[in-house]
Amino acid sequence: MPLEAPLPPIRERVAELNRRYRHHSAAAVLEHALNDPLVGPVALVSSFGAESVVLLHLVSTIDRSLPVIFLDTEMLFPETLAYQRAVSERLGLGDVRVIRPDREALFARDPDALLYRSDPDACCALRKSEPLARALEGFDAWITGRKRFQGKARAALELFEDEGGRRIKINPLAHWSPRDVQDYIVNNRLPRHPLVGRGYPSIGCRVCTTPAGESEPPRAGRWRGSDKEECGIHFLGGRAVPGPAPKTVIVTDTGFASDDWTGPWLTPEALERAGRGAALDIGPETDLGQLAGHLEALAMIRVNFPAFSDGRGFTIARQLRRMGYRGRLRAGGHLIADQYAMARRSGFDEVEIAADLAERQPQEHWLARADWQQGDYQSRLREGF
Amino acid sequence: MYEYDDFDADFVRARVARFRAQVERRLEGALTEEEFRPLRLLNGLYLQLHGYMLRVAIPYGTLNGRQMRQLAMIAERWDKGYGHFTTRQNVQFNWPRLSDVPDMLEALAEVGMHAIQTSGNTIRNVTADHFAGAAADEIEDPRPHAELLRQWSTDHPEFQFLPRKFKIAITGSPHDRAVTRANDIGLRMVRGPGGESGFEVSVGGGLGRTPVAGRVIRPFLPAADLLPYVEAIVSTYNMLGRRDNKYKARIKITLLEHGPEALTARIEERFAQLRREFRGTDRQMLARIRRQFAPPPFEEKPLAPYEAARAADPVFRAWTDTNLTPHRRADHAIVTVSLKAPGATPGDATSAQMRLLADLAGKYGHDELRISHEQNIILPHVHRADLPALHAALRGAGLATANIGLASDIIACPGMDYCALATARSIPVARGIAARIGELKLEHEIGPLKIRISGCINACGHHHVGHIGILGLDRAGVENYQITLGGDGTETFAIGKRAGPGFAHDEIVPAVERLLRAYLQLRRDRRETFIETFRRLGGAPFRAALYPSKDKADAA
Repeated sequence: MPLEAPLPPIRERVAELNRRYRHHSAAAVLEHALNDPLVGPVALVSSFGAESVVLLHLVSTIDRSLPVIFLDTEMLFPETLAYQRAVSERLGLGDVRVIRPDREALFARDPDALLYRSDPDACCALRKSEPLARALEGFDAWITGRKRFQGKARAALELFEDEGGRRIKINPLAHWSPRDVQDYIVNNRLPRHPLVGRGYPSIGCRVCTTPAGESEPPRAGRWRGSDKEECGIHFLGGRAVPGPAPKTVIVTDTGFASDDWTGPWLTPEALERAGRGAALDIGPETDLGQLAGHLEALAMIRVNFPAFSDGRGFTIARQLRRMGYRGRLRAGGHLIADQYAMARRSGFDEVEIAADLAERQPQEHWLARADWQQGDYQSRLREGF
Repeated sequence: MYEYDDFDADFVRARVARFRAQVERRLEGALTEEEFRPLRLLNGLYLQLHGYMLRVAIPYGTLNGRQMRQLAMIAERWDKGYGHFTTRQNVQFNWPRLSDVPDMLEALAEVGMHAIQTSGNTIRNVTADHFAGAAADEIEDPRPHAELLRQWSTDHPEFQFLPRKFKIAITGSPHDRAVTRANDIGLRMVRGPGGESGFEVSVGGGLGRTPVAGRVIRPFLPAADLLPYVEAIVSTYNMLGRRDNKYKARIKITLLEHGPEALTARIEERFAQLRREFRGTDRQMLARIRRQFAPPPFEEKPLAPYEAARAADPVFRAWTDTNLTPHRRADHAIVTVSLKAPGATPGDATSAQMRLLADLAGKYGHDELRISHEQNIILPHVHRADLPALHAALRGAGLATANIGLASDIIACPGMDYCALATARSIPVARGIAARIGELKLEHEIGPLKIRISGCINACGHHHVGHIGILGLDRAGVENYQITLGGDGTETFAIGKRAGPGFAHDEIVPAVERLLRAYLQLRRDRRETFIETFRRLGGAPFRAALYPSKDKADAA
């Protein structure tokens, strides 16, 4: 699609995209990302590893002709190569590009294919990062399957990332839990990587991957015995690039406090297996009907406002209370101090705000409306005067 | 009429204090311009062509003398000595300074007025029949319901950030003088099977760039269910209305996109839930409000002075023929004071005129005034015996123009002279038409006629519902005026149809004149009005008059 004007800088677009799609499902994020005028040409980068099939399948339901870049480091398991061909065929992927390391560089820098022993980072650079950089030339964005649960460096992963101002990284599955991944594979009857059944929850090159125990983090089998966590394609200038630290402030009638909730946030899709006391994250598009029957068990629901000018969350809060939800109700996203009374009157207990907003609109701006029970026409008309 | 109780008074004062703080926080940077914008709009403050504009609500068009005098004071002290009465029963001050606005709001609060929700993506000032509580044809005074809606919608926590603005109009008469079908919700009072009063509820009306007549989704809603039902509509709209395209965000588009049946089903479902939340307190409040709208103590006195003046003074008689509407008491009349004197800007009133009208309301009209969507001022309860004196006083101030409902009683938006959105001037066109009609001395011969002028497709001048509608556009930098014919804003609601190619600024007045002359030729007799003739004959003979040369060419 021809663009009418040059795209704005990556950093601005990423912020806008995160704002716009923060509460969308993976499928919606993907679909939008592939059509959003803020995003230019896109490729999917897949390792055809343990969980890759989820994203490949999602893409195949939207656009089978999307370029899929597969990095054959020439150190992969034969099972991975076979799996790559089988999955590509099964899903009807029309543009799978198998990328291999540069011949000359390989001869010069790793003629014996033993570089991984002496300098695994250099090996990753040679066999993954550099070939990928070449393959991504001409693309404005690439899709990865990284998820927050996969390790410390990925804990704050956002749906859209700024890759050093050069390119956008789209992580549609950022918020998925391991369980979400497994459910998706089961529900869609997708073929599994044969090594998964043999104890490999995460699969890279055969020389640097070992099985991981059930009690270990899934990527524990990668570069075992070293403190290396990432191969390098998700690094920038030698440094891991986590998303911005999600520091937030919780506002109540008594002022600011830090967030006391340390547990995970479930998506509505994960509701079926939510235990008692779970916390649920929903957005304005969430169908409240699917929450019926689960409300009693939830300790907290966070309703996210995509923008402060989008008032759907107020009606959602009222509706949740109307449905009988009595637990903690939090307004997340972008509310401003001037909306605190509206939030409280709609049924929210608290508002979660970003640290920079807390700085710009300090506690006293919010406490000014701690009197929200005063002068409320609604309670006068519903409860008496 | 409604007097604020302590709750209302505290509310508006607290609101002014909050807005004052918001202005300060904007200046300090605690609020960004993007954040401040909806907050100022929720308090009636627009940014216009020349600067800020403050839009003050006159709920259901009713105010008393003290309030009118305060408007006069505000216009003098912080503006240029006049105010502009709008088509939605508001008054606009076009020249305030941002730093003065909190003081202006405070002055309003002193007399039980405000500018709350006169703008922004929220439920706007509720409008009502300007003859409410006085008209002979009324089932019931709709204003207690309108006041209940005002309280309910004020700062309603769910509905301050809707997809788009939301307008409600209410009428208590079968004759729709509140253009209810052009509102997001139109409430027309009807009697139920048992004779009880209720409302016919229409949804999704609106003018603007996509003019649509509201669609009736409830032929009869018991009056007691008004708040839960209206809340169900707005709550459903808040979730479904589009937020990606402001031109598709009004409920009329939601209705088109989801289909009336599906939307109505959702509304009814939500209504069933909400109805339980209103447990009678709202009806107690309604009863309390209703007591305050009790009719004034009407006086009994002989009509002789009125009859004598009519017989003796043809100017007075002409004025009574056009500017009076039957009151529910035969010995009283509803007086419409025209703000459409020749050369005047439709809807503008100076501070002196406001004060005079306040005085006259005190003297002859039980201290009550109304603002009509047709931009005139009304004294709703005047004893006929007092009409000669009232007329004389109005005449002395240039306010006795006898043109209500006639060709020069034109609605016009501020147009390009004031509005940042306008694409053409409208006030000079209105003045030009009125002046030409004055020269021809045909106004009374022509009889009832509604000419409506908008300076852009947003249609603030209601051109779609004018018998003759004029829409000013910008064609490659040149003003161009399109004519629509056959529009009607009353109970026989119709959207006017475009007649054909537009006219240049210097061609539009002669074009209207050709229409008027054609009507005089075409009508059956003097009793058949312009709109009746149009309905009988259709647009063709009027279009032939508008585009004579083309017609000749076709015939050749």
